[in-house]
Amino acid sequence: MASQGGTTRRRFLKSGALALAGLGLAGRAHSAPQLKLKKPIKIGCQTILSGPLGGYGEFMRKGALLAQDEINAQGGIGGSPIEMNFRDEELKVDVGVKNARYFVDDWGADFLIGIDSSAVALAVGEIMPTLNRVLIVTHGATEKFNEDLVFKKHIKQCFRISVPVYQDGIASAIVAKDLPVKRWATISPDYEYGHTSWKMFRASLKKLKPDVEFVGESFAKFGTVDFSSHISKVMGSNPEAIFSTEWGGEAVTMVKQAKLFKVFDQTKAFMCAMGAAMDVLQGLGADYPDGAWASGRYYFLYPESADNRRFVDAFRKKWNTFPSYVSETSYAALYAIKKAVEKAGALDTDAVITALEGLEVSRPAGPCVIRKEDHQAVYTVPWGRIRHDPKYPMPILGDLRVTPANDYYRKPPFPPVEA
Amino acid sequence: MGRALLFQGLVGITEAMYLWLVAAGLSLIFGVMRVLNFAHGSLYMLGAYLTYAVFRLVGGDFWIALAIGPLLVAAVGWVLEVGFLRRVYRVEEAFQLLLTFAFVLIFDDLVKLVFGPLYQSPPTPKGLSGAVVIAGSIFPAYHLFILGVGAAVGLGLWYFLERTRFGLLIRATAADREMARALGVRASRLFTWVFVLGAWLAGLGGALSIPVRSISPGMGELIIIEAFVVVVLGGLGSLRGAFLGAVVIGLLHAYGLLYLPVFELALAYVGMAVVLIIRPQGLFGVREG
Repeated sequence: MASQGGTTRRRFLKSGALALAGLGLAGRAHSAPQLKLKKPIKIGCQTILSGPLGGYGEFMRKGALLAQDEINAQGGIGGSPIEMNFRDEELKVDVGVKNARYFVDDWGADFLIGIDSSAVALAVGEIMPTLNRVLIVTHGATEKFNEDLVFKKHIKQCFRISVPVYQDGIASAIVAKDLPVKRWATISPDYEYGHTSWKMFRASLKKLKPDVEFVGESFAKFGTVDFSSHISKVMGSNPEAIFSTEWGGEAVTMVKQAKLFKVFDQTKAFMCAMGAAMDVLQGLGADYPDGAWASGRYYFLYPESADNRRFVDAFRKKWNTFPSYVSETSYAALYAIKKAVEKAGALDTDAVITALEGLEVSRPAGPCVIRKEDHQAVYTVPWGRIRHDPKYPMPILGDLRVTPANDYYRKPPFPPVEA
Repeated sequence: MGRALLFQGLVGITEAMYLWLVAAGLSLIFGVMRVLNFAHGSLYMLGAYLTYAVFRLVGGDFWIALAIGPLLVAAVGWVLEVGFLRRVYRVEEAFQLLLTFAFVLIFDDLVKLVFGPLYQSPPTPKGLSGAVVIAGSIFPAYHLFILGVGAAVGLGLWYFLERTRFGLLIRATAADREMARALGVRASRLFTWVFVLGAWLAGLGGALSIPVRSISPGMGELIIIEAFVVVVLGGLGSLRGAFLGAVVIGLLHAYGLLYLPVFELALAYVGMAVVLIIRPQGLFGVREG
């Protein structure tokens, strides 16, 4: 009798102590709901990792890895850690499609993110129904991705967390209409995106300021190292301002060469849609002409919020450099996946799709909603003018022009762009 | 209108000068050694990387870097020839091509390892960031400098080949290797020096490109293909052909942009095809046999 009582009490105390300890552990380490999903959750990211545009891949990787670290430290997605895998899209459509198939079929990816090239985004988007995983594009900006693939063709697996070409073609026109400039020309990359962005800029600006003229254009293929003949061709048409959607290392080379041709002395304005990318700011440095207009898909000093500051500081601490915009978009993509999966309670593609539609994503770039109609994230990014501030190791943007995204984003049923 | 055309042509010829420097070495090496050096673009790339490295080491002096960088590439060329290429002269040409292609891959990975995979963007030297007015348009001083260097190299090579003894030996070996050897020319040492000279020229091209263009792994691939088009068009083994070929390609590109921008990629190849149909050995090439 006595031993039974002793064992019971001891057992009771032991189990009580264990229970308390268990509660303590659970409270500290797991802030994520325990969903008992597979471990790990695999996310495949493809981006341009080599060549003159390779800076993008580097910055995208860094943003994704920062998010992975933070999310895993908090217990992962529904209790499962994230595992990332990165591949080089090489800006080639066949490589992009191959990477996507490899991620899903060979590596077992649960989600796909990334993609810099609009052409690759469209090609990969087309095969998503076969792969049946959620794809969150973090850079490629063609409007055909959300307007055609998602809205018109109902490819529901496709999402985009980064701003579309509306930022380069429409928000730019809103700024341009107030500039004392009537004759515009362009030097832009010779592929889908370069042509689409110029067309959208022309269409938007003509509506806002009917007396503008578009006097010259030159499109440079990928891999152009010498823009001299493009510059001389365009300057031959006597423009007052140049609009460009050149990006990465090619933007740096083009601006440097344009400077040698005294383009910035002969024109009144220069607008570079992706000129505020961190690698372009760093690459041009003191050579970036003051007053040049630039934008991107996120700018590290906008908005001036605690969330944004926290992200920038964490990024700088981990990587010893400021975040570029693709760092923020890949970071936001991972957090969007986390929020959607935990909301859906499952990894099932259809469930996650439903959870992502209309989702409010909290991200460094500010308030953001993923539109249900075309799976496009809506958030605001400023255009600004380059200025050299001794407080920062690279040029920054001043004179920020902020137009709320909802004011200029194209909306369904997406009429054709008339230029 | 005429002035704009003239100006566009001038810009095209300036772009051609980088091509000329790479094509000159390529042509020389083929003419004398009968080796198609696929790694010549890599030597151009090394010229850019090494010159920029020297530039940073000496605290930002472009002229010192320009003097030293190409010499470093020449040294690399020496190692390549003496250590590797020499062993495959008597073997099938396919092996030579494979060897030089292997170097392309090795150098690409080497620069990624040492300098990182991202592009780099050196500053323009202070003295040459100005501009002059030509044909009513603004022409960068640096581009004028490039035209000058291209012309100087052309003249220098001509003088070297036509007026010096060493040049005579090179021309003799290129024309008839057996006879030259019979007359006492030591082919093996000649080959080394020709390869070193070719490497120096490619390195110079890369070095000159750094203030205006960006440096990245893979920049060699871009220029070697264009250089091959140039030497085939101009005639393998002919320096005159390499110069003219480069100018033709440069002008095709510059004027092509004005009138046929849709064919920007194809024009150089179409030009090459047209020349080959009319004159299969190239503009200044010598028909074998």
